[in-house]
Amino acid sequence: MEMATILVVEHDILVRQPLSQYLRDCGYLVVEAVSANEARQLLSSGERKIDVALIGIRSVPSESGFALASWVRQNHPAVKVLLGGTMTKVLQLAGELCDDGPDGPVDHRAVLDHIRLLLAARERGRGSKQ
Amino acid sequence: MRAVSLRAPNEGPVRVLLVEDETFVRMDVAWTLRKAGFQVIEAATADAALEFIETGEQIDLVFTDIQTPGVLDGLALAERVRARFPMMPVIIASGNENMEYVASGLGRFVPKPYEPSWIAKIIAETVDATL
Repeated sequence: MEMATILVVEHDILVRQPLSQYLRDCGYLVVEAVSANEARQLLSSGERKIDVALIGIRSVPSESGFALASWVRQNHPAVKVLLGGTMTKVLQLAGELCDDGPDGPVDHRAVLDHIRLLLAARERGRGSKQ
Repeated sequence: MRAVSLRAPNEGPVRVLLVEDETFVRMDVAWTLRKAGFQVIEAATADAALEFIETGEQIDLVFTDIQTPGVLDGLALAERVRARFPMMPVIIASGNENMEYVASGLGRFVPKPYEPSWIAKIIAETVDATL
């Protein structure tokens, strides 16, 4: 069976990288987009067949994740859209994908904790520079 | 259910921080490097790459384009990496061969355009040489 490809749309590298690596560890192919524009380019090019688009409502700063999700549904109806309202929800959705993943379930909560640590480290860094 | 395995320092696959703002170039290079067994952290800007580095996450090699949008360019990123991690290999790419002299003072220069498979080979050689 062909391995499913997931498009992860997230501008923040501290969220996108652990999330994408988590999905890879579950056996998926993952394509990363850092903006809505990149996501549209990747989907429209047809260069990679995308099966699932994982989008957070606040994952792209230029527009709402709702708008991107609507665009994907309208222009690429074969792509399953998973839209999460919060980072926790996006990680839960990723966890559900992993439950059915080629390499079996992997607990997503450690990834969420790791992302929180990274975000806290960034805040501490910003604080020490001020 | 398996527990997620977060990487301990000096364990697991070599982690390459890839900095490239051109979507399809970044995707192709990342894809090729992953097929070659590297773990790839994708950054579209040098600013994002530095944010990642500053969290203390383990990185084994930085591969950056010189021209990146944002505050920092690839050379400024390479300078900061050099200052903080003098032993970390840095590979710097540019379509402007006039940048070779400056870039070579900070890392290994590779001219653009390039074949992603060639980059995988250079990274493998560089990592082997630093082990």
